[in-house]
Amino acid sequence: MSKIREAFAKGKAFIAFITCGDPDLETTVSVVKEAVKNGADLIELGIPFSDPTAEGPVIQGANLRALTGGVTTDKIFDMVVELRKEVSVPMVFMTYANVVFSYGMDRFVQRCAEIGMDGLILPDLPYEEKEEFAPTCRKYGIDLISLIAPTSEGRIAMIAKEAEGFLYIVSSLGVTGSRSQITTDLSSMVKLVRDNTDIPCAIGFGISTPEQAEQMRAVADGVIVGSAIVKIIAEHGRDAAPYVGEYVKSMV
Amino acid sequence: MVKIKMCGLSRREDILAANRVKPDYIGFVFAKGSRRYLEPERASELKSLLDPAIKAVGVFVNEEIAVAADLANRGIIDIIQLHGDEDEDYIRELRKYTSANIIKAFVIDGPGDLKRAEASSADHILLDSGKGSGKVFDWELLRDMKRPYFLAGGLDKDKAVMALTKLRPYAIDVSSGIETDGVKDPARMAEFMERISIMADKKGRFGIHGGQYIPETLMNAVIELEEAYEHYKKDPEFNRELTELFNDYAGRPSRLYYAEKMTRDLGGARIYLKREDLNHTGAHKINNVLGQALLARKMGKTRLIAETGAGQHGVATATAAALMGMECVVFMGEEDTKRQALNVYRMKLLGASVVPVTSGTATLKDAVSEAMREWTSRIDDTHYCLGSVMGPHPFPTIVRDFQAVISKEIKEQILEKEGRLPDAVIACVGGGSNAIGSFYHFIEDEDVQLIGCEAAGRGIDTFETAATIATGKLGIFHGMKSYFCQDEYGQIAPVYSISAGLDYPGVGPEHADLHDRGRAQYVPVTDDEAVEAFEYLARTEGIIPAIESAHAIAYARKLAPTMDKDQIIVVTVSGRGDKDCAAIARYRGEDIHE
Repeated sequence: MSKIREAFAKGKAFIAFITCGDPDLETTVSVVKEAVKNGADLIELGIPFSDPTAEGPVIQGANLRALTGGVTTDKIFDMVVELRKEVSVPMVFMTYANVVFSYGMDRFVQRCAEIGMDGLILPDLPYEEKEEFAPTCRKYGIDLISLIAPTSEGRIAMIAKEAEGFLYIVSSLGVTGSRSQITTDLSSMVKLVRDNTDIPCAIGFGISTPEQAEQMRAVADGVIVGSAIVKIIAEHGRDAAPYVGEYVKSMV
Repeated sequence: MVKIKMCGLSRREDILAANRVKPDYIGFVFAKGSRRYLEPERASELKSLLDPAIKAVGVFVNEEIAVAADLANRGIIDIIQLHGDEDEDYIRELRKYTSANIIKAFVIDGPGDLKRAEASSADHILLDSGKGSGKVFDWELLRDMKRPYFLAGGLDKDKAVMALTKLRPYAIDVSSGIETDGVKDPARMAEFMERISIMADKKGRFGIHGGQYIPETLMNAVIELEEAYEHYKKDPEFNRELTELFNDYAGRPSRLYYAEKMTRDLGGARIYLKREDLNHTGAHKINNVLGQALLARKMGKTRLIAETGAGQHGVATATAAALMGMECVVFMGEEDTKRQALNVYRMKLLGASVVPVTSGTATLKDAVSEAMREWTSRIDDTHYCLGSVMGPHPFPTIVRDFQAVISKEIKEQILEKEGRLPDAVIACVGGGSNAIGSFYHFIEDEDVQLIGCEAAGRGIDTFETAATIATGKLGIFHGMKSYFCQDEYGQIAPVYSISAGLDYPGVGPEHADLHDRGRAQYVPVTDDEAVEAFEYLARTEGIIPAIESAHAIAYARKLAPTMDKDQIIVVTVSGRGDKDCAAIARYRGEDIHE
């Protein structure tokens, strides 16, 4: 069993997304610790990318702030080493294919394993291109997380069968960011997954309120919240940790 | 597809397994002391069992010339592989005894070894990490290798797949990677072949470039687009409608004009201008847009979205949308809406809405990102009319096919006027759609030199440049693998050119491959050179080219005088320059108000 599954072992999981280095890495460390203290079961660390095509304005802004602040992939690796001294919940990186490819795929994934990361999410790596990255991830025991979307339809079975760690269900069309309503028929998507695998399913994109989180938990094994947390960090900057903690507490 | 050599076969069952999975070559090792060593008589028996379609390679280390030649002459092996310290004298001597092809293996430790390999007189070269030691060497060294090569050394199926994502070897040599406990394993042999052929058959690849690196949300949309395109491109009714639009609406075929004054002035090759600037809407962009809009309508889409840099593609898309009664939204970097205010007005006049993009550098790349984001949120009724030979498969192929009308016409026109093919075709390259359109039907004509002109901005030794092939490196962005301007961490670099249409940090995957194969050359042209060419063509021929196209004119001015008077250059004037007059005036220190 991969370590990621542990996050789902104690009941429904809460997954918090944080862009590393927004506004600086010290803040990221304190925010992650607060989130975990207040009940986050898995942490998704975003490595910023100059052109994050799957993100809405909120996370785009975080990427920009982090890069302007001088954060790099290497500095983030060093931060994780520090973080791992205190944080034991599973952690995954979320970034774009070019960040991994340009670093050197083997070098990147090996370093992930060394510093205690458990998985990798690349939103611009669909099933068709997965095999370029998957063997390296398998070699170092890093779960390469697959995503399914409301448009996936006939592709769900194919993707679910090969999914590792957990399956990321994109709640609705479009980019990341809060939505007042999520209208996708998520329970039939989950059912299609269940017909093919028992891998945990977590729903993300557009979830920001405790009510939405509750609805999502009713159909899936976990919820992923990103933009809502990033928004709190944007608002409170270096003092964001307690506010994020309080928010996470209201969501779990 | 890349060829496969399975080396070190020594048993009857190895040969039977090879006959089933059909590699291109198998290898018998005659190096004494190797654990895979084979007695010549045993090799002879095995060769008689081998499928004749598979070539047998004999591997020798510092063997006596007569011994190696004898095995080849007796037909026990088809090719001789020299895996020791054999030098040029040895190869010359060996050729006196046998006409068999020779592979010379080189152990690669540094760039010097590559130079020696490149210069070898052997028929093929094999690059190895070290005499079958099974180590993988630094592939980065091979990026600039111009000569076809066998790649060897410690490859298994995963490492071979990885190599194929980065390199373009002629063949892959595998030995220990298909063994279990020191002997060949039929299951691993089959698995190896299967993985490599899946890799080679991957859709939308141009060599190692291309692919479909996009969010899952868009996958079904591009699959649907590919299916529709594959269907309609063979549909006579679709093609009749498109030809009619090309001819009656866009004004095709565009003229191939003999630039007599320019030719005389430069005193070298005869220069012809392919006048895409004479098309309706003033640029080549309309070719692609009419094709895609027609396709989108057949697919039942009612709304077109597009990105635009200079505004030419936006205007073309707005035009096609107006013609076909479709809704149109154009994403344009805020910087560009200022640089190209006239085109913004034209798009609005045509009924499109223009969305200024403020994210990132607020230029073309950000407009592409924003259009992709918009497509992710609304797919059912919307077609993303991508403007260049870039993005995820099938866009680079679709756009190329619609733009290929340019080279199809050039070929017919030049044959009619000159009775022969040109010596060189020159076009400017941003994403590269007018260039691929100009090159496409000449790619097989090896004697026609293909030259793409990249925007060097203030120079390729400055940070203010957009010359991707000259300054970029391999990466994955905007749905494709290709060359991109980026920093050491893969962050996409801000790029600069006076031309808003060439101001893009990447290049289409087919160009990246033409570059890798050495089939096309890509040269940087600076702002200064382009502006001079812009003014030169206006004064010399009475033609004001787009500042993008002026990059191609600038290189033609350098090239023509170095060529003979009976040689021919075709330069594609991809668009007209009215839109650029105010910006060029500013560049020259004059402020004009439109």
